[in-house]
Amino acid sequence: MAADLLAADRLTRAFGDRVAVRDLSLSVQAGEIVALLGPNGAGKTTTMRMLAGLILPDAGTITVAGTVVSRDTANQARRSIGLLTETPGLWERLTVRANLLTYARLHELDNPDSQVTRVLDLVGLADRAGDIAGKLSKGLKQRAAIARALIHRPPVVLLDEPTSGLDPASARHVRDLIGELRRDRRAVLVSTHNLSEAEQLADRIAVLKTELLAFDTPAALRTRGDGIEVSIEFEDGSRHLATVRELAEVADLVHTLVRDGRRVVRVTPDRRSLEDVYLSLVGAEP
Amino acid sequence: MSAWHRITALARKDAAELLRNPGATVPAFLMVLGALFPGFLVVIGAPMIAGRSLEESGDFAEEAAQAIASMPELAGLSGNALIQAFLFHQFSLFLLLVPVVAASALATHAVIGEKQSKALEPLLATPISTTELLAAKTLTPFVFALGLTWLAAGLYIAGIVIAGEPGVWRTVLGPRTFIMFMVVGPLVELVALQVSVIASSRANDPRSAQQLTSLLILPITAAFVAQLMGTFVIAAPGLLLGAAALAALNVALLAIGVRVFARESILTRWR
Repeated sequence: MAADLLAADRLTRAFGDRVAVRDLSLSVQAGEIVALLGPNGAGKTTTMRMLAGLILPDAGTITVAGTVVSRDTANQARRSIGLLTETPGLWERLTVRANLLTYARLHELDNPDSQVTRVLDLVGLADRAGDIAGKLSKGLKQRAAIARALIHRPPVVLLDEPTSGLDPASARHVRDLIGELRRDRRAVLVSTHNLSEAEQLADRIAVLKTELLAFDTPAALRTRGDGIEVSIEFEDGSRHLATVRELAEVADLVHTLVRDGRRVVRVTPDRRSLEDVYLSLVGAEP
Repeated sequence: MSAWHRITALARKDAAELLRNPGATVPAFLMVLGALFPGFLVVIGAPMIAGRSLEESGDFAEEAAQAIASMPELAGLSGNALIQAFLFHQFSLFLLLVPVVAASALATHAVIGEKQSKALEPLLATPISTTELLAAKTLTPFVFALGLTWLAAGLYIAGIVIAGEPGVWRTVLGPRTFIMFMVVGPLVELVALQVSVIASSRANDPRSAQQLTSLLILPITAAFVAQLMGTFVIAAPGLLLGAAALAALNVALLAIGVRVFARESILTRWR
């Protein structure tokens, strides 16, 4: 079993009387992408900031690449984390290369120039290195921000709304980059409102609304609650509706019907969408 | 050394940004010209326009003679040269507005620029400590503003060499000027910088932050006006006393600045 590169254990954080995150536990393994879903104000940004070592939890522990994060170790932990913030946050008067070069120096990387070149190649911005950051399109700014998050080769990558506001082509490019991070054996946590993106990208999905409501694979999440509804059509035109807990049970169901002499012509699992599951979890009206 | 490496990395970036930001640098350069102008207008321009030297007009002669007691560097001068030297020393206080205005203009842009471009959070996600961040955010404006202050002082002295009576410029190279530009100037500038940085944490545009810093102009202007009204010059001991007060104020502001620059404060309390 792969080791957890990022682990949060029973995190709680309040701001004054308002509890932003309560008793949150989750983990991300090397080569795994976990999507963090939740409505606005659910505590996603607070969670990201705690995991990035930017703010400390009131209770609970965070372990990043083997380092338990505390006031004393937060700086060390941040060396293992690449954070993409919700807005690109580039220095807009400087070139893309100057932006990245500053970060390479802040991380005290050897040969900062070549590290910048490497990461620009990675995100496909090599030909835009000399452009003023403020003049880039939103999609290119986001790529530059991803390059910034990856410049120090962090084993843990935290991405806050990485495709928010991007056109479909740019969003796809960013999703491809995130997929490459998995192949690179990084532990990736992606905060998003985009359910289909979460389903497409993530190995596991965490649904947060101050507390962790669910943390499982997309397939397992879809089967939560009422299970999977299966529609079975017979040769005589009649239909039978059944509910199973998981898809593997469909084979048993069909076998039983055939043994009883029924002539099955079509079996259609009526899978609940992730959106249905999400909305029922967070208690929102569709 | 790694802390210094991070501070200079960020300070270099700030310098590159400031050089591309005329909104920050132009007011600082204009202040240099603005601070130089009044002294030369009164000491050189006005007598030229009036067609009478300061000595001939009889103004300031008695006060200038009395000033020798507190400023030994004026001894040896007489007549128009003594009056010019006396006035040039009075007006040199005006040059302390340069570090205040320049530091304020540059520091507010350096901090608020980060806020406006939302660049602080990714910066805080690096291994930089908040003390290093505070140091980096003040280093570039400090160096720029101090350079401008010394440029203003250099131009002031050069102007006196060119336009003043012979020998007047030598009196300006004494301990009073040294204390003013090497001790008081940097301390005034540090106060302005720290107030600007603290004010910038609560403001969303440089002008709002500069309004608070502009209050620092008042004590300098008050001291300048007091000199004119009381017809005296704040000599070296008075400047040293002021320097001690400024040093104490800087320590207090540093304590506030470190608290304001805590990561959590920046992320959760800065507007």
